Amino acid sequence: MGGLVQKVKLFGEYIPWFQSMRDKGAIAFDELGLPTPKTEAWKYTKLRDLNTDDLVIEPSNFLAEMRVAAEEACGCHHEDGGCGCHHHHGEGCCCGHHHEEGECHCHEEGHVCECQQKLHVPFEAYVIHFEKGKMIPPFPDFPRGVEVMNLMEAVLTEDAKEYLGKVVDIKLHPFAALNNAYMEEGIYLCVHKNVKVDKPIVLINHTKSGEENIFFNIRNLVVLEQGAEAEFVEWYNYTGAVKSRYFANVVNEIVLGKNAKLSHYKLQDEAFKANHIALSVVKQKADSNYHNFCLQRGANIGRNEVKVLLNDENASAEVDAAYIMSGWATLDTTTDILHLSPRTYSSQLVKGVVGGEAKGVFQGKIHIAQDAVQTEGNQLHRALLLSDTAEIDVKPELEIFADDVKCSHGAASGELDENQLFYMQSRGIGREEAKQILIDAYLNEALDKVKNPEIRAWLSDYAHAPQE
Amino acid sequence: MTIPLLEIEDLYARVADKEIIKGFNLTINEGEVHAIMGPNGAGKSTLSNVICGKPGYEITSGSIRFKGKDLTKMSAEDRAREGIFLCMQYPVEIPGVAVTTFLKHSVNAVRKYNNLPELDTMEFVKMVREEGKKLGIDNEMIKRPVNVGFSGGEKKRLETLQMNILKPSFAILDEADSGLDVDALKVVAEGMNALRDGKRSMLIITHYQRLLEYVVPDFVHVYADGHIVKSGDKTLAAEIEKDGYAEYTRER
Repeated sequence: MGGLVQKVKLFGEYIPWFQSMRDKGAIAFDELGLPTPKTEAWKYTKLRDLNTDDLVIEPSNFLAEMRVAAEEACGCHHEDGGCGCHHHHGEGCCCGHHHEEGECHCHEEGHVCECQQKLHVPFEAYVIHFEKGKMIPPFPDFPRGVEVMNLMEAVLTEDAKEYLGKVVDIKLHPFAALNNAYMEEGIYLCVHKNVKVDKPIVLINHTKSGEENIFFNIRNLVVLEQGAEAEFVEWYNYTGAVKSRYFANVVNEIVLGKNAKLSHYKLQDEAFKANHIALSVVKQKADSNYHNFCLQRGANIGRNEVKVLLNDENASAEVDAAYIMSGWATLDTTTDILHLSPRTYSSQLVKGVVGGEAKGVFQGKIHIAQDAVQTEGNQLHRALLLSDTAEIDVKPELEIFADDVKCSHGAASGELDENQLFYMQSRGIGREEAKQILIDAYLNEALDKVKNPEIRAWLSDYAHAPQE
Repeated sequence: MTIPLLEIEDLYARVADKEIIKGFNLTINEGEVHAIMGPNGAGKSTLSNVICGKPGYEITSGSIRFKGKDLTKMSAEDRAREGIFLCMQYPVEIPGVAVTTFLKHSVNAVRKYNNLPELDTMEFVKMVREEGKKLGIDNEMIKRPVNVGFSGGEKKRLETLQMNILKPSFAILDEADSGLDVDALKVVAEGMNALRDGKRSMLIITHYQRLLEYVVPDFVHVYADGHIVKSGDKTLAAEIEKDGYAEYTRER
């Protein structure tokens, strides 16, 4: 059996309030169905390449995760510890190579497992590891006032009950409905009142070669109480053969209390034949500030949708993004900023580089409600086309129901400038290198929006031109 | 002994479908400074672009050899790495790319081609500061994006800085119809004179004699209708200044 809808054993079926959310998700998805070319919100991102028929959802891993977490917590030594990548001699080596029995080098002294090398976060951070959508314990030690749990743990303790499923409207988002139906994996992150987290919290989901045809759902709930501040990073990473196919469906529900401040960064670097669809919905109280920056560079179909509800006065949001792609990919950046109170502010800068026969999609909506006076919403999308066959589809939308607002949007696309290229070549810089320099400069304008210099440097390393 | 550096023989070249260079011949030996003067629209800038390999210019017949190598088969970047430098009439603005970044890529690409070790950041910064100081280029200027918001004089200073850093064996100064002020011209002229060492060669492409007062050429050629119509020494430049180009354009 395969496909997006299938029977699978998940944890927590006996928790009525939680299970009913799953059931409602399944029903909503059944009613909505997959978006078609006629679905306005999916007008340009065609899902015919989603190829879900042979996808498999793996059964619950929650109890195993809890057991390992408990063992780690006891401080015992584990014989097979080493790299912590949870495979055993004789089983398929995680490095993706084929070995004769006993030839796996992962556990030899001094050997750093390939997957571990890739998972290195090059800045000080609290790192939470996921593999193909399943959490790999243990969690790092968080400081006081920062609560992080496996989502199911937060369901059991009912910490998640207040907000889970209440930020995102599954009737509007078919993939979020689907995410509801299989809700189990993900994290619950809560930063208590006035606590400022000292280091970024990084969620890495790592998928590697051989893990094909898997469909996984990740659901995160991020709550910042009044005056709290945090940086949250999502990193979707893949190593191994190019042909690997899987489907990651991610939903983040984010709640920002009064005067809270969240910087939310994301790197989408999935396999070129994988699909990645993500939705973040953010609810903001007065004086809170949300900054989102997403760099997309992988996947066959990649969509990052951010919906921000500026519910109270003086809430502000900055939603920026960059994408860089080639081949046949479709990368979609969709934003929906709702100004629902007076004096709310938003700005967006999205820049993309598209080569090959790839397609970049930007849909940006700014909605200003009737009483949301003296608000300001700005949006700019720019794209660079590297080939004649590359395509850009842009749909900016302004819905303004209030007077006395400042609003702007702009879109532009162009090609690399031959005069600039020749100028560099005439100084000895190779044509390909010159192109790379111009592309870097182009994307830097968006990357400069990332305020944390270490995270900016990390993302910059991935913002390079696609290989043609 | 005279050693030929650049040899152009019976060159024909066109842009789009328009033939612009028609039967052009010129040999420049090591250490020589040549000036090409001509009326507006004679195709003077086309000549420098063809020598440097700008895309869009097609050589239909003839040959260009540099240090004995066939230039026409070389990419623009390889021509630069071989030691040809084009000091541009209108240097291009490159937003988002700092002068230092640009220079470092340039210097190391040329060094790599010539089997020299790439400079590390320390060595590079030291060199740029030293060379910049001579031209009145401060540290603030080299942090700015290439030519963006630069005055005419600053652009010329940056061109000269690049020339002094790359130390080409052959420099082309394209001032075909530039209305640049005298101070800016002086900066470039001084930079070019500093490179004159009896081995390096230069080609100055200009409309006016003015520039040739600062960089005194060994040979002056009058260029009209796609080829050289008269050659002489520096006195020819003075003649043209007095009588204009009418005599040469009428000839056709």
